[in-house]
Amino acid sequence: MAFVDQLLTNLLYGAILGSVYGLATMGLSLIFGVLRIVNVGHGAFIMIGAFTAFWMFILYGIPPLVSISIALIVGLALGFVIFYTVIKRLIDAPELATLLATFGIGLFLEELAKLFWGPDYRGFSWNVGSVNMGMTIIPVSKIYALISSIIIAFVLYLWFQRTKLGAAVRAVVEDKEGAMVCGINVTRIYALSFAIGIGLTVASGVLITLFVPVGINPYMGGEYTLKAFVIAVLGGLASPWGAFYAGFIFGLLENGSYTILGLLPNVEPFSLTRFVAFTALLIILLVKPTGLLGGEK
Amino acid sequence: MAWKKAVIILLLVALVLGCAQQPQKPKVTPTPTAAPVEKIVIGAPLSLSGKYAKEGQQSLWGIQAAVKWVNDVHGGIDVGGKKVKIEFKYYDDESKKETVQSLVERLITVDKVNFLLAPYSSGLTLAGAPIADKHKVLYMSHGGASDRIFEQGYKYVVQTLSPASKYQTGFLDMIKETDPEAKKVAFVYEDAEFSKAVFAGAKSHAEELGFEIVFDKTYPPKPTDLTPILSELKAANPDIVLGGGHFADGQLLASQMADLKVDVKAISIIVAPALPAFYEALGTNAEGICGPGQWEIGVKYSPEAAEKLGIDWYGPTQDEFLQLFKEFAGDEEPSYHAAEAAAAILAYAKAIETAQSTDSDSVRDTMSTLDYMTFFGRWKIDPETGKQIGHDMIVFQWQGGEKVIVWPPEAANAQPYYPIPTWDEKEAGKLAKYE
Repeated sequence: MAFVDQLLTNLLYGAILGSVYGLATMGLSLIFGVLRIVNVGHGAFIMIGAFTAFWMFILYGIPPLVSISIALIVGLALGFVIFYTVIKRLIDAPELATLLATFGIGLFLEELAKLFWGPDYRGFSWNVGSVNMGMTIIPVSKIYALISSIIIAFVLYLWFQRTKLGAAVRAVVEDKEGAMVCGINVTRIYALSFAIGIGLTVASGVLITLFVPVGINPYMGGEYTLKAFVIAVLGGLASPWGAFYAGFIFGLLENGSYTILGLLPNVEPFSLTRFVAFTALLIILLVKPTGLLGGEK
Repeated sequence: MAWKKAVIILLLVALVLGCAQQPQKPKVTPTPTAAPVEKIVIGAPLSLSGKYAKEGQQSLWGIQAAVKWVNDVHGGIDVGGKKVKIEFKYYDDESKKETVQSLVERLITVDKVNFLLAPYSSGLTLAGAPIADKHKVLYMSHGGASDRIFEQGYKYVVQTLSPASKYQTGFLDMIKETDPEAKKVAFVYEDAEFSKAVFAGAKSHAEELGFEIVFDKTYPPKPTDLTPILSELKAANPDIVLGGGHFADGQLLASQMADLKVDVKAISIIVAPALPAFYEALGTNAEGICGPGQWEIGVKYSPEAAEKLGIDWYGPTQDEFLQLFKEFAGDEEPSYHAAEAAAAILAYAKAIETAQSTDSDSVRDTMSTLDYMTFFGRWKIDPETGKQIGHDMIVFQWQGGEKVIVWPPEAANAQPYYPIPTWDEKEAGKLAKYE
């Protein structure tokens, strides 16, 4: 009984964590999908989001749920600024140049954050109660994290599918020259996609604080960058939706495997969960080398 | 053709002479003790960025305060009747092992420092140790508590802080004393050099005291979610929980124990609860949480206490240290990272003064004989390994938003609050404080 309870608990928490992972990866996949640029500084934008939630809550008492939209706006603005100052010049540059540029932006943001806010691990407690599910207790803030990430992902999906701008973005992804011929301002689409990608990433930083409201630090992004890359590959690299599903799967694998591994004698199950998650990634990629939703070449 | 031969012979002669000159060099250079010492350069790699940025910054401020005491208040280190000042040289090691290694090499060979301080953390301390030992330059650990550092047979590595194996023993003693009925103990800690050493020591001490270990598992470094391990721990229904590793995971551990409402009678987490940011982040959820400390503002080490033990006192009093620290850190209060780093500087000053030498060998020999007290506590090393054996750990507890010292009784300024309030009670605002 205890075993089933724990497995369900871990899967439930894994699903919530996975949804946050998923959203935290969508921005990365979107930017790669449209601009073919790998944003190595990804984690720094998550950190900016976490700090946005932190400061809004500490200084103005704004709950993190409201901060999501603030973070989205901050991220969009940041995205546009970075695009027009750095990325625009690098669209057709060799890969190494864009890698170094985004890496540099990441470092710059981290050090800037440290300069202004110091190296402390900060945190806040936004207590909105918790729900007793019988087998476990879940803080309501975590349920908010799950629901918000699903809503954001869905709204983005609608925007892509149902709006003219979304169609333009898809057109640029499919055929850049063709899109240009049809009168689409490709640079503007690039700018918009980059800004949305950054906006999503910064917003996901807020969601991470809903899941874990502690450990907010200028260098917190590193862990998430690594996971985001794995999830992005799993999801098919260029596909934001794939990334979202892959995030779910990664979260479920990471947490769910713990209980099963715990049945093995003389092992530390937690150390093996990452191994299991990465092995699963290898197997999925063996079966489907383009990732879960990576239909394209 | 003859001139060609002559040139070759000349070249050979020059070469032989050149080689012969090398070994003669040390004879020409005066021995450090004989020459008047102008200044004593102490060098260190410090983690000013990366994962130990917080601890590194505290160490730097502590070192600066101690150097200022030695140079300005004490008037310099007395070597051969001359007051010599300390010059402190440091670089940012970015919390990376590779950087530590190249910086230690650089400090020794390029900057020609007399002595070295190790960087923060056991892992980084271990990274630099073989290089310092190879060059026969004293290397003092002030943030590397792992016992393993002192099991490598290094001669030039010494320790100022208590070793890891002693970190959680005081807390177990305290529980044994406060509640002999509490038997079931759970360990949940980071799978890392330092925490493994801490909990190896804690485990054997718990067994000695007759505790029953109902849960003993590790989590990998930098976890993002501890739910799986904590729900398993909850099912084991322990009386007390001991855990932690570094700062972020310790904070996460407390936060997620609150989420899952893992109610126990006492909690002791290493590292994280020591810093005020822990309470700021967790709010009332931090109430009652204990932690071991190398040092804490308010400990009662004083010249009088030293006299009672029949040992020397050296360095600033606690109040003087706090004053000096303020000059560098502003409003920020010193954590134990600052105090232990300062104590390492004071240990060098005391040992150099006693040895009347800046030579690593004679200072190391002198250190083996030293037994004295600073504001950080007692200082005495094991002559063989260099491990700290004089210094004692304290146990603190968060009570009503204040960190008070609850163990050992002779250093305590408050009673331990036991059992701690449940997570529900804490959320309702209950504090772990006796009225």
